[in-house]
Amino acid sequence: MPVVSQTVRVKVLFFGRLKEIAGQGEDSAEIAAGASIEQLFAAFASRHPELAKFRTSLVTSRNQEFAAWSTPLHAGDEVAFLPPVSGG
Amino acid sequence: MTVPLHDDQIFFTREAIDAAALIGHVRAAEDGAVVTFDGCVRNQSHGRHTLYLDYEAYESMALTKLREIAAEMHTKFPIHCVAMAHRLGRLQIGETSVFIAVSAPHRPAAFDACRFAIDTLKRTVPIWKKEYFEDGAVWADGELPPVPAEAPARKSAS
Repeated sequence: MPVVSQTVRVKVLFFGRLKEIAGQGEDSAEIAAGASIEQLFAAFASRHPELAKFRTSLVTSRNQEFAAWSTPLHAGDEVAFLPPVSGG
Repeated sequence: MTVPLHDDQIFFTREAIDAAALIGHVRAAEDGAVVTFDGCVRNQSHGRHTLYLDYEAYESMALTKLREIAAEMHTKFPIHCVAMAHRLGRLQIGETSVFIAVSAPHRPAAFDACRFAIDTLKRTVPIWKKEYFEDGAVWADGELPPVPAEAPARKSAS
């Protein structure tokens, strides 16, 4: 394991088909401070390769607001990966 | 006597939605119209016979989004009150999945606001449904909500 200067823990949520692929709706991850949501997703996609297929057809949120993939993460953030919504 | 500015009622439920209660909630003496939308579970999807649906939501965020929709309705349309309920869990054919009631002094605003509410809900609120058929199940085709632009990763613009 490479030694990183500073890591932070974030909460990660999966919904819909992503939850089925990830095997659970809620997880947590230890990432480099300031890493982006994109990097966080890549870490999960390497663990669950099937996830990568959905990268272009999902959106993300940080602390319950829709967020850009480039959004940097901080300790305690709650990130969610959201498939196309189909309420109603 | 003080009257709250907006006495909107917005919630998720795992039980049958009581439409009459929601209509009763929004209806007041100063209103000339109550417009409702009753979204119900259809018995087929893309030509396949549907058995039932399972709904799930990112509940805390979805509730915030529903409240934002209601707030926007009050900004955009001269309405009186909004009630919005969305069901979660397993729903059978014919059951109500979402119910919206809007009251207003005059009907155009109530119609417009109700239409705005369901259209925006379907596009932006993190809710998902899985459709079960005799020969399998699929997550319903949905819409990708608009998200903030990429590029300059600014710190909490909101």
